[in-house]
Amino acid sequence: MCNEWGRANVPIQPSMIEIKDVSKRYGEIFALSEISASIGSGEFVAIVGNSGSGKSTLMNVLGVMDGDFSGSVRMFDVEVSDLSAAAAARLRNERIGFVFQSFHLLPRLAAWENVALPLLHRGVRREERKVRALAMLDRVGLADRVDHRPEQLSGGQRQRVAIARALVGEPRLILADEPTGNLDSRTGAQIMALFRALNRELGVTVVMVTHDREIAAQCDRAIEIRDGRVQQPEVAR
Amino acid sequence: MIAKGFSLDELAREAFSNLRGQGRRSLLALLGVVIGSAAIVALMNIAYIAQATTLKSFQQTGVDVLSIQLEAPGGRGIDIPGLKALVADDADALMAAPYAATTSMVAAGSRIQSATVAGITPMMEQVAHLPLEQGRRLEAIDACSRVAVVGNKLASGLSSPGAAIVPGQVIHIGAYGYTVVGVLKAVAYQSLSPIPYDDAVLIPLECARQVMPGDGATGALVRLRTTADSAAAVDRYTAALSTPQAPVRVQDARSMIETMKKQMSLLGGVLIAIGSISLLVGGVGVMNVMLMTVMERRREIGLRAAIGATPNEIRMMFLIEAILLTVAGGLLGDVLGVLLTWVATLFLPFDFGVNWMVLFLGAGVAAGVGLIFGLYPAISASRISPIEALRGD
Repeated sequence: MCNEWGRANVPIQPSMIEIKDVSKRYGEIFALSEISASIGSGEFVAIVGNSGSGKSTLMNVLGVMDGDFSGSVRMFDVEVSDLSAAAAARLRNERIGFVFQSFHLLPRLAAWENVALPLLHRGVRREERKVRALAMLDRVGLADRVDHRPEQLSGGQRQRVAIARALVGEPRLILADEPTGNLDSRTGAQIMALFRALNRELGVTVVMVTHDREIAAQCDRAIEIRDGRVQQPEVAR
Repeated sequence: MIAKGFSLDELAREAFSNLRGQGRRSLLALLGVVIGSAAIVALMNIAYIAQATTLKSFQQTGVDVLSIQLEAPGGRGIDIPGLKALVADDADALMAAPYAATTSMVAAGSRIQSATVAGITPMMEQVAHLPLEQGRRLEAIDACSRVAVVGNKLASGLSSPGAAIVPGQVIHIGAYGYTVVGVLKAVAYQSLSPIPYDDAVLIPLECARQVMPGDGATGALVRLRTTADSAAAVDRYTAALSTPQAPVRVQDARSMIETMKKQMSLLGGVLIAIGSISLLVGGVGVMNVMLMTVMERRREIGLRAAIGATPNEIRMMFLIEAILLTVAGGLLGDVLGVLLTWVATLFLPFDFGVNWMVLFLGAGVAAGVGLIFGLYPAISASRISPIEALRGD
């Protein structure tokens, strides 16, 4: 298996994600209106906007979960809207790690089994899954919680498990949707530090969707969405 | 692409662990599947046993035999010389074995019991192929001597310590003493013969009237050539032997087998109807449980879809879960079906037995139900959008 993170030390390449004139509407309402943006490999980017701004819709497009839009989104040199459901699933499995606000861990699985889930759907054998999941739990500081079920973990620990799950498949992109939204500010700060460390040390691209401008301020760059449009110019930080 | 997807054994493992989480609800839904496959297993197994028993009951005599019986015993009986002449002239018939049977008390020493007393000719040995345990058969030379061959069960019933029924012993039928010359081996129930050999005393037909209420034969077995049209022979012999005073009934092995088959297929029809309805109800129950499961696990399905499960994998996951569920029901149905078979053998003249192929069929039918009724829930699971399922943060 090739290691996508082998590129960690390569300088940022432009346009790992190239969004061009993307629009999406629900009935009369435009959720996204002619959005264009590009995100390079290795970046740490926030997509920031208030609720209803269209940032979640954009997140779904970038997560290759919604191919029903006009315009063009090229990710990893693939035109996303052309993909079949199965091909989109494979792309998500191999290239993208997801982190959600409410963690979405499966309650009946142990921490390491939750972490290993993307590998299960990739067809990796159980022994190898466990080895890789344990290594990743170690990486997020939960080496002593591998057999715990989600209900036995604190919120911050659950989000760490979720981050380990996002990372275990060695994706090139982490998509985090309000990852600190359900955490207190101190735990949230720890999670942000973890993302920052992963971005620096592993070179994985992080795109974080948030309504919280303080969180956005901790990212390298913020793409602000308002009423389905990118606020120009992008604010460089 | 690196991915080769979710492998089948992993899918099965997932499905199994999911089912364990369901517990009682799944078991209740399975009741229909259990009853349905039990009915089918029981039916098939009883049919199998019945067939084996039927075959066994024709084993001794073969299927090329006519059984002629007086409709009512007593009176003049069947005209033996007439029958012999008939068979001699019949190109389809090989030999005739007339007999006269009655029930009488048989005694040996202090033992006494009721038994079938049958006057036979040596021909009977050839038609019915009776196996001897000890001694000899009845021969033509025995004609009017008072000798007897005793059935296996009767022999042990009449034996007392120090006075076993062996050749040389004397038994009494009515007022007459008969010397035992042979003892038969146990003979399975024979469909065509009205003589229950195990519980019978066989004596020479010629002078049997001494212990019989009437004259002549009460019945006869006629062996036909294998090429004979036995249905036509039945009509011919009925016409030739029946008299207004002594009507006879003629049966052939083939039509008896047909009759048994008809009875079996009637029973089979009822059981298949019960089985099918139960399976239908069970299938709907399984569909219901699976739909509930899919609804309850929307988030899990959404998450799996988000992290890379293809719609096909999700469909397979739930389909396998449904099939595992119904196969579990099918296995329970196998157990229940075998139990039902055993209970049925208590009331039917069959020996208990199990056809292993039928057990596979029971589980297989249940798996089919899982496949059919699990398809819709599985497809609906695969159509869940991860965006919708994960919303509501």
